[in-house]
Amino acid sequence: MPRIDAHLHVFTKASAEFPRETSDVWPADREEPVEKLLGEMEKHQIDQAVLVQMAGASIANHRYLLQCLKDYPNRFLGIGLIPEGHPNPAEHMAQLTDDTGIIGFRFSTFGGPRDIFAKMDVREFAAYPIWECAAERDYVLWLYPNAINAHLLPYLIQEFPQVRIVLNHLAVSPGAGKFSWDEFGRPQIQVTGYNLFMHTTYRLARFENVNVHLSGQYAFSSEEFPYKDLAGWHSGLLSGFGAKRLMWATDFPWILEEPGYGKLTTVIEELLPNLSEAELADIMGGNAKRILRFPDL
Amino acid sequence: MILPTPEQKAQWEEEGYLVFENAIQGEDLKRLQTAFDYWADACKAEWLDRVEAGEAVATFYDIPKPLEKDPIFFVIIDYPSYYGALMAFTDHDLILLGPQVRTVAPWPVSYTGWHPDVGHSNPLHIKVQIYVNDVQPGSGEFGFVPGSHKPDAGPYTRPMRQESMTGHKTFPGKAGTAIMFNSCGWHVSMDNHSDTPRKSIILIYEKRTPGRIGPKQYASISDYCQTPERRKLFSLDG
Repeated sequence: MPRIDAHLHVFTKASAEFPRETSDVWPADREEPVEKLLGEMEKHQIDQAVLVQMAGASIANHRYLLQCLKDYPNRFLGIGLIPEGHPNPAEHMAQLTDDTGIIGFRFSTFGGPRDIFAKMDVREFAAYPIWECAAERDYVLWLYPNAINAHLLPYLIQEFPQVRIVLNHLAVSPGAGKFSWDEFGRPQIQVTGYNLFMHTTYRLARFENVNVHLSGQYAFSSEEFPYKDLAGWHSGLLSGFGAKRLMWATDFPWILEEPGYGKLTTVIEELLPNLSEAELADIMGGNAKRILRFPDL
Repeated sequence: MILPTPEQKAQWEEEGYLVFENAIQGEDLKRLQTAFDYWADACKAEWLDRVEAGEAVATFYDIPKPLEKDPIFFVIIDYPSYYGALMAFTDHDLILLGPQVRTVAPWPVSYTGWHPDVGHSNPLHIKVQIYVNDVQPGSGEFGFVPGSHKPDAGPYTRPMRQESMTGHKTFPGKAGTAIMFNSCGWHVSMDNHSDTPRKSIILIYEKRTPGRIGPKQYASISDYCQTPERRKLFSLDG
């Protein structure tokens, strides 16, 4: 069974060849290239990974991701981004998926009513064309919904039950104003405890096409590795979604300095110590291979 | 005080629930509905802001501190139609843990899965769910597994779909219906596939244990609690 890191990012220095957006955390001269990732994967016996686009959603911004997927077709699959408010998302998605290794798209908003009591017409949601396109072309949707958007998801999931969905980072839906960066350059998300009822996404376990990443622990925990305060949260996800719908991921490169890539390869054993060998193997790669259709090595 | 009949006592022991149809009716029901709608509307915007900030559940909301908002929310705590049963089942040693004045949105999935609230080591824990509007089948009605409150019942596992729970019974009802249940029993809010929110009040009680609720908890409504029985119900004397 392969070991697959199901969510991470690579980027190179901003250049004419590989244009990208910049920020304080990823300035133009910073790079976290695929070769560095491959070194970590080699060292810790990780076979394959999902490269998730960051630092820009335009077609040009995806060039480095596309290059990595082209150079290592058996090692990586890719997840792209869609510019917010794009007039023709289907065209954008098609351009990026023409035998490129990009298998799906990541986004956080769905463009429906903010109020769960409002009348819901899923066809009126701004994200409807994206879901429609994903259903037609068999893309995976990589979702990290904002807290005020999460209640819209079941309407879309009901409409498109054939679309494979991966909820990012423990299925947390970050609240507005709760995001920051810590001293190690890692995203930090303030969350209100780990009561499962707090998280609308937990109720989506009923839908068999919804899967969840076990990743991003550093961003939600108030403890250091192995983030034992999140053990109950992991057990809840295991009990709700089952071992066949959970995928381990590191969120490289944010974790390189603290706690380090190697430690994160053991985080599932730390937080779910009662898993059987088969369940652990599924979460560490078997599920990603099956659900995302990674090529055989 | 209306004490439970022998048949009601037997059903409570065996099945763990009782249904009081028309428990609240007439003017009291109208007052309850009016106060509920007024305060639910008044509190909604703040709740939505808290949802956006990731600080509140998105699928339902409760009116905060209802006992301070309208006397009718206080009146229903020891309402005659079910209060006698509560007292009888707790050997006249009852305390209120809290009210939840709850509006549940129609949504493809129920906001909660099947669960018991407490284990068998807990003092007798009772909830009374009062429907404020008519609750039709398939619109978030209460569900319960009769007999699941008994220590030797089960084991039960939580199914993916509410309707797949073994041995469950659902309780649609008219506005003013009160459903009393032993919270050791497995229960749920069924899916609400209608376009009508479910409005209900969940009153939570327990057989008294010293110090369970501090005297400050309900100090703000102590003026309403002039009898020793009410002071005990609201733990005002510790």
